[in-house]
Amino acid sequence: MRKDQKMLPIVEVADVVGCDSYELGRMISRVVDFIDLKLQEFDIVNSFERAIKNCPSFGNVSEDVIERMLQQGVFLLQCLIKWFVTKGRKPMPVVAAVLVFVGELNQVQVKIEDVAKELHVALKTCRQRYKELLDRLVKVARVLPWGKDVTVKNILKNAPYVMQYMEMKAMTKCSEKRQSFGDFQSDMEELVGDCLRKEVGYGFDSYTIEDCSSHYFEGDRSLNLRSDNPDKFQISPESLALIYSNFLNEISLVKTTAGIGTENKRKKRKTLDLQACTDWWQGKSELSKKLILKKILEKDVGLDAMPPSFDKACLDTEKRREKIKAAKSRIQRIMHPRIADSGTSNGLCLFEPENSKKKRKKGQVDIDWEDLIIETLLLHNVREEEIEKGHYNVLLALHVFDQGLL
Amino acid sequence: MADPQGLEGNQPVDLSKHPSGIVPTLQNIVSTVNLDCKLDLKAIALQARNAEYNPKRFAAVIMRIREPKTTALIFASGKMVCTGAKSEQQSKLAARKYARIIQKLGFPAKFKDFKIQNIVGSCDVKFPIRLEGLAYAHGAFSSYEPELFPGLIYRMKQPKIVLLIFVSGKIVLTGAKVRDETYTAFENIYPVLTEFRKVQQ
Repeated sequence: MRKDQKMLPIVEVADVVGCDSYELGRMISRVVDFIDLKLQEFDIVNSFERAIKNCPSFGNVSEDVIERMLQQGVFLLQCLIKWFVTKGRKPMPVVAAVLVFVGELNQVQVKIEDVAKELHVALKTCRQRYKELLDRLVKVARVLPWGKDVTVKNILKNAPYVMQYMEMKAMTKCSEKRQSFGDFQSDMEELVGDCLRKEVGYGFDSYTIEDCSSHYFEGDRSLNLRSDNPDKFQISPESLALIYSNFLNEISLVKTTAGIGTENKRKKRKTLDLQACTDWWQGKSELSKKLILKKILEKDVGLDAMPPSFDKACLDTEKRREKIKAAKSRIQRIMHPRIADSGTSNGLCLFEPENSKKKRKKGQVDIDWEDLIIETLLLHNVREEEIEKGHYNVLLALHVFDQGLL
Repeated sequence: MADPQGLEGNQPVDLSKHPSGIVPTLQNIVSTVNLDCKLDLKAIALQARNAEYNPKRFAAVIMRIREPKTTALIFASGKMVCTGAKSEQQSKLAARKYARIIQKLGFPAKFKDFKIQNIVGSCDVKFPIRLEGLAYAHGAFSSYEPELFPGLIYRMKQPKIVLLIFVSGKIVLTGAKVRDETYTAFENIYPVLTEFRKVQQ
């Protein structure tokens, strides 16, 4: 099937024959090695196409909606390939995440639990990939004028604008990028106006109106689209004022509508107008059709992300660097109390990554086992670059507990 | 302070030996030795505090020592496998310590044919790698099946080393009998990896 470009996931086969997917994988590797087969790489786009057509959750969806979902899904999947979300990961949870997202985007009532079950993948992994997809879309949305207010909670409502922007970017040829920036600006102006005119989505979001409105006066800053010459990106003060007054009018309208009752509000939030969905999606970008990897990588979709594992490794290294610094200052304070007294550092590592899950209590900074190991290694003259790598067991074995070898 | 030969840690990198400037860290050394006597595993398990033996699960005594922090698999035939050491010397020292324990338990254990069987190293090139590109260009040596394993498996012919290459830029090298094979394999693969690095635009 691989040779015929038909993707049959291992998990699906394993489920049918009733064996463990790892066992099956091992057997496949042995067979492939033995017959010396040269299999093509697993094609995530093909498997998405197969999944959307075969998934019972999408059985009742009309053909044209499926067609649109297919285009949107292929577009998003190829963006995810470009953003390294699919690399070194099992492909089917990513497929499930995209299926759920495009389903929600097109008002198809679909649950992630059901899709995960139908595709025989772990629900937790699907949720994680779904979150990663949302995170990346939020990052893309940063360039929009209201980008600061876009979060994972409201990205679905903003998704049409974000995807429209990504499509536009993808259609811009590299060489034309700089020259056509003016055109793009006018498109953006239109898009901004469009977004503010529509009641759908943005107006109903959960963040406070004061917060949102404040950003619309920050034209220079919020409209900064990484242009070399930001002055070129102009929306005249008059048109900006007009947009803003329109926006305020609509917000007041939304306020009154929202005041009718939370139940009503909830209903409105859930139901986007289908017409609106069909309006924004053009599907003209090449990324909506299957492309080869080289072409995907060449495309600009408004975000150039690094693999999540790489980002995490960088963050970990940074954290260790801070811990080393703090440990050094603690050692310094003990060895030379007079010099250390004059310094301001308290010898505690205050590095707290932005998206850290464990939030420390205010003012409470503890020294943990890692700090103590780093201190020990520093006292044994281990190079900082080595400690930064984080292979503490090796370093301890080689430099601290290695006395017996002498 | 202990500073055994060839151990990275507090010495500057020798660029003539490691042109990439990166020295793989040895994470595990596996060695074997023949104690050259038949062993009563049940007796060993009963007498030694640091031993576990469950013949239904595995036909060897699993023994651990704290310095060097290692684990040994001791078979009834007298063969022993020592794992977990971070250097060749540590592996040998640990194997000797296990042999001594067996002797103290009343067996005529010798220390025959000590051999390093496998060295596992790892390092980080600090840039993301486009695995598909690498798998495509080096198809004869690579296997990349994200459905089965997240990394690309690269089987280098000379030296005969298997490398696990991950998208994050982390590399695991395994299959070496001497540490220089690990270093050579990494220096061979490094230029290839730079070819497939993901550049931030």
